[in-house]
Amino acid sequence: MQSNTFKRLITGLTFLFLISFNISAQQGDPENGKKLYNTNCAACHKLDKKLIGPPLKGISEKRENAWLQAWIKDNNALRESGDKDAIDIFNEYNGIPMTPYLQLSEQDINDIIAYTDDKPASDLAATTSKASDPKVALGKKLFQTHCVACHKLDKKLIGPPLQGISEKRSNEWLHSWIKDNAALRASGDQDAIDIFNEYNGIPMTPYPQLSEDDIDAILVYTTVGDVKPVEVATVVADIEIATPKSSNKWMSYALALVILILSVWILVQSKNGFLKIAVTIFVSLLGTYILFDSLMDIGIDQGYQPIQPIAFSHTIHAGDNKIDCEYCHSSARNSKTSGIPSANVCMNCHKSITEYNGPVASESEKAFYDAEIQKIYNAIGWDSEKLAYKDNYKQIPIQWNRIHNLPDFVYYNHSQHVNVAGLECQECHGPVEEMDEVYQYSPLTMRWCLDCHKETDVDLKGNAYYAKIHEDLAKKYPDIENWTVADLGGKECGKCHY
Amino acid sequence: MKNFIKITYFLVLVIVFTSCNDSNSKRKVQYMGDTDMYDAVPYETYSKNPIFKNGISAQLPVEGTISRGNELYEYPNTEAGYQLAKDSLRSPIKLTEKNIAKGKELYTIFCAICHGDTGDGLGTLATNEKFLGIPNYKDREITEGSTYHVIMHGRNMMGSHASQLTNTERWQVVQYVESLRADLLK
Repeated sequence: MQSNTFKRLITGLTFLFLISFNISAQQGDPENGKKLYNTNCAACHKLDKKLIGPPLKGISEKRENAWLQAWIKDNNALRESGDKDAIDIFNEYNGIPMTPYLQLSEQDINDIIAYTDDKPASDLAATTSKASDPKVALGKKLFQTHCVACHKLDKKLIGPPLQGISEKRSNEWLHSWIKDNAALRASGDQDAIDIFNEYNGIPMTPYPQLSEDDIDAILVYTTVGDVKPVEVATVVADIEIATPKSSNKWMSYALALVILILSVWILVQSKNGFLKIAVTIFVSLLGTYILFDSLMDIGIDQGYQPIQPIAFSHTIHAGDNKIDCEYCHSSARNSKTSGIPSANVCMNCHKSITEYNGPVASESEKAFYDAEIQKIYNAIGWDSEKLAYKDNYKQIPIQWNRIHNLPDFVYYNHSQHVNVAGLECQECHGPVEEMDEVYQYSPLTMRWCLDCHKETDVDLKGNAYYAKIHEDLAKKYPDIENWTVADLGGKECGKCHY
Repeated sequence: MKNFIKITYFLVLVIVFTSCNDSNSKRKVQYMGDTDMYDAVPYETYSKNPIFKNGISAQLPVEGTISRGNELYEYPNTEAGYQLAKDSLRSPIKLTEKNIAKGKELYTIFCAICHGDTGDGLGTLATNEKFLGIPNYKDREITEGSTYHVIMHGRNMMGSHASQLTNTERWQVVQYVESLRADLLK
């Protein structure tokens, strides 16, 4: 009797032990999973959004562990075995096969699944949950996912400011506008057509996926709001321009004013003839100097810093992320112009990077940058939700303002300087990687060109471009080692003016 | 004294009104800037252009033509095209040190930012988590043809880099990628 109970106890314990062992094997380590996910999966999958492949959050609720294991290890084999689910998902995602991951162990895959299960929907949800009213919180979240790209609460962006919008329009109108504004316009609604025209005929994306409750929540949020005093131009105003002009400019102005007033006082009030003559000479000399100085300034745009249509920051791209200048300005190697990148070059990265996730000082700054990225999409008709170009979209060229502009009577060629001479871009354009907004660093005068041509030694050896001239020079002047650009004809008028 | 006050008042007024003209967002005055010496009649590379329908000077090649120095690339941008290029496309340029050196230079500009200097998928954009999931070359079955095809058409989240590199330059990059992969597989 006793041994029987003992036996049962043993089997029971073994069973429990086995189960717990099994569970621990199933559980996986989300930390390791995150690492593996980032290196192996993140190129094609996001947790909460469709990318090349489906969103993976909570994938283990949809599929069994065994199926996932088989799929990840070799999805081709799984499809060939005739698995219906596998074939369906393959077809749903345009027949692009997933790379097989034979190198991942069973435990690795469990770790990844643990990570995809654990992760909250988005970090936004976590931060916004602090808000007191759940409806406001939901509205804020929805507002930030769907609206901030084009709307701010208190400021015009792509579309109108939305704070207190429900006081302006009826609830019913707002619902139908948000769901499908194109249909509303087509129905002949005058308000809808007016607002469309007021905002340059840029159509708002329809949001049929939002439920009535969702839209109500957004409207509640826009009414309640959380508007803090926003500093007007988050980026534009903060930049201190490192142009050669400095703050002591104002000091010299003040000094000139004082001297002028003093001179006028002497000329009008004083009875001393000598002093009057001295002051007259002084004033005319000063006047000539100022006149000369301002005339010399004609045509020199050093420090020119126009406002660009997109607040593209070289600090973020070339500075923080260290993208090579020539990645975007790729024609500098081979052509006269350095090349303003066409939008397809932007899209090489911004297909994936749809929002700014660098360090920000405030929430409005992030929204500001996100809206700037959205401007690329609007220019070329990219749908960042569907990840496809819109059909029949009328593309609008981005009209960048040219900063460096030589008069047309002078010839300048980028490839000669970048490719043959091997100059760094910064030698003429200054520390562009530190410029949020680009300004003209060099004066671009003829004297500036010639000074450099006179001083710069050309490295003739091992440069195919100079092979012939180097041979000739070495024969004729065997003693001279260093040749400047000017020596090779870089000072002749006809080289640049013809 | 009255005279003095008048003149002083006038001077201050003039200075106040002229000193606000200090905006860097406008170009300065150009001497004869409105003549065709400064802005010649021909259209500039990136200028507006009333002649073309889309209003820009920088036009794409006419459909059915290619620009000089480029070659026709007939593998379509599909999965089948990728497989075909992978199996059958081979480099037309010779494996020389010069080509590899040029390839390295171009790789550093155009590829290393994501794929990393050694091709391990740990470029700057990957390590600072801007662009995730970049494969290590040694984990992928790639050939000359498939690498070229991906540079031409892009694949998954990688975009086409055809507009940034010429035909020969692409093959030089391919050569360097092959050499990196060989090093990684060691």
